[in-house]
Amino acid sequence: MIRIESEAWQSMVKHAREAYPNECCGAMLGSTDGETKNVKVGMVLENAFEGAQAARYELRPEDLLAADKAAREKGMDLIGIYHSHPDCDAYFSKTDLQNSCPWYSFVVLSIQKGEFHHANSWLPNFDQTDAAKEELIY
Amino acid sequence: MPKVLIPTPLRQFTAKQDSVTVPGGTVGDVLNALTGQFPDLRKQIFTDEGKVRSFVNVYLNDEDVRYLNKDATATADGDTISLVPSIAGGSAVAAPPEEVTLSNDEILRYSRHLIIPEVGIEGQKKLKAAKVLLVGAGGLGAPLGLYLAAAGIGKIGIVDFDVVDYTNLQRQVIHSTSDVGKKKLDSAAEKMKAINPFVEIVKYDTALSSENALEILKDFDYVVDGTDNFPTRYLVNDACVLLKKPNVYGSIFRFEGQATIFAYEGGPCYRCLYPEPPPPGLVPSCAEGGVLGILPGTIGLIQATETVKLILGIGEPLIGRLMLYDALGMKFRELKLRKNAECPVCGDHPTITKLIDYHQFCGVPQPNAAAPVEESKVNEGEIDVVELKQKMDRGDKFVLIDVREPHEYKICNLPGAQLIPLGEFPQHVGEFDKDADIVIHCRSGMRSAKACNVLRQAGFQHVRNVVGGILAWSDKVDPSMPKY
Repeated sequence: MIRIESEAWQSMVKHAREAYPNECCGAMLGSTDGETKNVKVGMVLENAFEGAQAARYELRPEDLLAADKAAREKGMDLIGIYHSHPDCDAYFSKTDLQNSCPWYSFVVLSIQKGEFHHANSWLPNFDQTDAAKEELIY
Repeated sequence: MPKVLIPTPLRQFTAKQDSVTVPGGTVGDVLNALTGQFPDLRKQIFTDEGKVRSFVNVYLNDEDVRYLNKDATATADGDTISLVPSIAGGSAVAAPPEEVTLSNDEILRYSRHLIIPEVGIEGQKKLKAAKVLLVGAGGLGAPLGLYLAAAGIGKIGIVDFDVVDYTNLQRQVIHSTSDVGKKKLDSAAEKMKAINPFVEIVKYDTALSSENALEILKDFDYVVDGTDNFPTRYLVNDACVLLKKPNVYGSIFRFEGQATIFAYEGGPCYRCLYPEPPPPGLVPSCAEGGVLGILPGTIGLIQATETVKLILGIGEPLIGRLMLYDALGMKFRELKLRKNAECPVCGDHPTITKLIDYHQFCGVPQPNAAAPVEESKVNEGEIDVVELKQKMDRGDKFVLIDVREPHEYKICNLPGAQLIPLGEFPQHVGEFDKDADIVIHCRSGMRSAKACNVLRQAGFQHVRNVVGGILAWSDKVDPSMPKY
């Protein structure tokens, strides 16, 4: 289960709405006890995809490294990655899957016509062939 | 000794340590020592073949070791090694596989694509890597086949079992006059190959059915529905939902058309819009109702456009929107479509988990392989055209009723026939004598069979349907009678 605290959630939604009609992406920092993940900070990262970003995003590994460093400095952990799907459901697409990592939770925010619509959290497998839905509370 | 920073989710394998200091002179040595010390960690970082997993980037301090000396990159005391996943995604399609390349001939051929920034070499490679299945090589399939081949789709499959008929030529522009009588598959493939020899064309000489659909569809990334009947439409939809393949849909009638993308992951499907088929006979096909020959060009090319957009991952795909086109008003309208959580095939709790009998579902009989008119049997309550002609020549006293539409009557008609279109027929039942000898005809015998039943239910005794209608008359009695 992944729980996103109010402040972090609001910053993630704001980020996704501001990026509309493009996709946004960021890191989720917080703590975990192995069972429940608790997100305290939604950290805005740059969508580094070269080309039209309406339906694509890419995270620079350097930025992820910086996010991990920032988490350690705050005494937190890097819990997961979030990104938005403008005018599209919050499913885990084939592209998402093929560029995923089984270590983290992947939260997808569906932004329809510029407004937040719904969100899902996904746990991809090792082979990048499937992702399980994770209970998401925000 | 270098220090390895352990990402949070992997700390369960390193006794909760967030960093581990391990010996080793190179990055490779360090990682091997690390996973030697914590064997459960190995699976997370390395494949079974011992390669670093594709999603893992190894950083030495601030540098990706891929750009240094890879595994052999030397490490020193005080260095920090980080494991950083490469993460990307998006709702659009992925990059083309690396093995796709374009020859110089292809680069020249596609130059007007390549100079559009949104397409470019990358986009053209995606088109080449794409596999698109066309269901039907008729009205919609014609422009689809021509333009998708020209655009450079790598592999195009076509499913069709029909032969080119003279009445197809008014709209199915992929077939020529000289192709009449030829298999549509062969005629279409020939034209497509002539336009673009780089395209691989796979021909499926069969009717798409519950038995073969999954097997045929599984090799393609996109399915384009160019069919004109409800059983196949539901079949294509359900197969696409089950296989998670987008269904680029189009339909046409007289002056109006529709298009949308169904069964795209996260979007609605055909059943979300129409959970049940209309009663049989309510919605006429092109053969029954007619179609403006240009119309399938417009709709087929909307389907082709959406297919190419999906492949390229550009623009706003026609997902969750039904495009309605009215050629007479020259207007496009759009209806919003919502995914139905109760949908029996794509909803939250689907009840249809495999393909069903679609002819039964739509209440229409299995089509027999188009029995030629000559062999059609004359049953009780029916009359053959030759017998009808003899009856006329003998001067028998009987009532001949034509239940076609007035504009059809103008094309051709039988001597002495009284025109009462099927729609108005029930209001005229009282005008006839219940004991009279009544013969009813239409174009092919379908509508007149319905009219016969109306009379029989009203208590008429001597009612007969003309088998094969005008078409049979033209074949067997008067070849100068035009067929339409």
